[in-house]
Amino acid sequence: MEQLAERAWRPHRACEDYLSEFRHCKGFRNNFHHYYTYGTAPSCQQWKEDYHNCREWESHKLTEAKDALQKSERRRLEEQKNFTPVWKLRQAPPGDWHRPLD
Amino acid sequence: MDQNKQDEEYGYDLFPERKARKPKHITIRDSLFTSRNKCQVMLTFAMEISPYAKLLLNAMKNSGCKVYKDRHFSCEDCDGTVSGGFDAATSQIVLCQNNIHQQAHMNRVVTHELIHAFDHCRAHVDWFNNFRHLACSEIRAANLSGDCSFTNEVSRFNFGLKEHHQQCVRDRAVRSILAVRKVSQEEAQKIVDEVFDSCFKDHAPFGRIPHGNKDATFAYREYVNRDRYYANL
Repeated sequence: MEQLAERAWRPHRACEDYLSEFRHCKGFRNNFHHYYTYGTAPSCQQWKEDYHNCREWESHKLTEAKDALQKSERRRLEEQKNFTPVWKLRQAPPGDWHRPLD
Repeated sequence: MDQNKQDEEYGYDLFPERKARKPKHITIRDSLFTSRNKCQVMLTFAMEISPYAKLLLNAMKNSGCKVYKDRHFSCEDCDGTVSGGFDAATSQIVLCQNNIHQQAHMNRVVTHELIHAFDHCRAHVDWFNNFRHLACSEIRAANLSGDCSFTNEVSRFNFGLKEHHQQCVRDRAVRSILAVRKVSQEEAQKIVDEVFDSCFKDHAPFGRIPHGNKDATFAYREYVNRDRYYANL
């Protein structure tokens, strides 16, 4: 059963997506905008590692590659949530969104 | 509260057609050759071509607030130099047809207002009474819509490089608050400073700060593939 789950798993993104993200990250425009926003150079190494792990998984189905990828993406997601929201999220959309105009 | 006073309190006097609360009678001649038509055409382009707008429209649909052009957008004449607004009372995005003359500007205004609409859709945002909520949404809109891109800032003669984006976001958020609420500059600045750290980091639904169409396209690709992403997390 677990073997089936292992085989059913696939990387979060297509491997080419990791490569294009890495190239985009390293490009001049991104470096410029990162400096303009944060005053530092961006770190792009993780995209390259993820691409490498993605290819490793596709070619050899190595568990280490899968674990590394999962760890990397989970960390990426954590970083995105690294703030305390100012407002409370809704459970359902506002009731009057589709209300007809008079 | 007296209706006129309420209008002024919430910035409705910038949008006189909204204030009149009477539907304007439009002839066919009007609709074919005026700035309203140009506004409608540019809006359609923005919704279909701009990756910023496409991502936001997609995200709103998935949050239960599908956007219909005829219901949720309104091209109107506005006062002053304001380019657009989000009216939470009617769930409409107002586009100032007399102040938007270029497609790139339209794309940016649509993105900016859609961010407000997206916040309205996914969170309990108290637009009228909670200044922190208003400030937060303005920070996010200035941050994520491309309002503060290097090129736009240079065209406003605001020259700055290192971390200038953040300064621009702060300034534009303060300006937006001052435009629609009767508060002092100091008060607006204080509120923006209070919520800045949290709201600057909130990049939903983009997942990153899109600095141009290529960034936005990558963000859109990521969003469209999120089912696969979460299934394999």
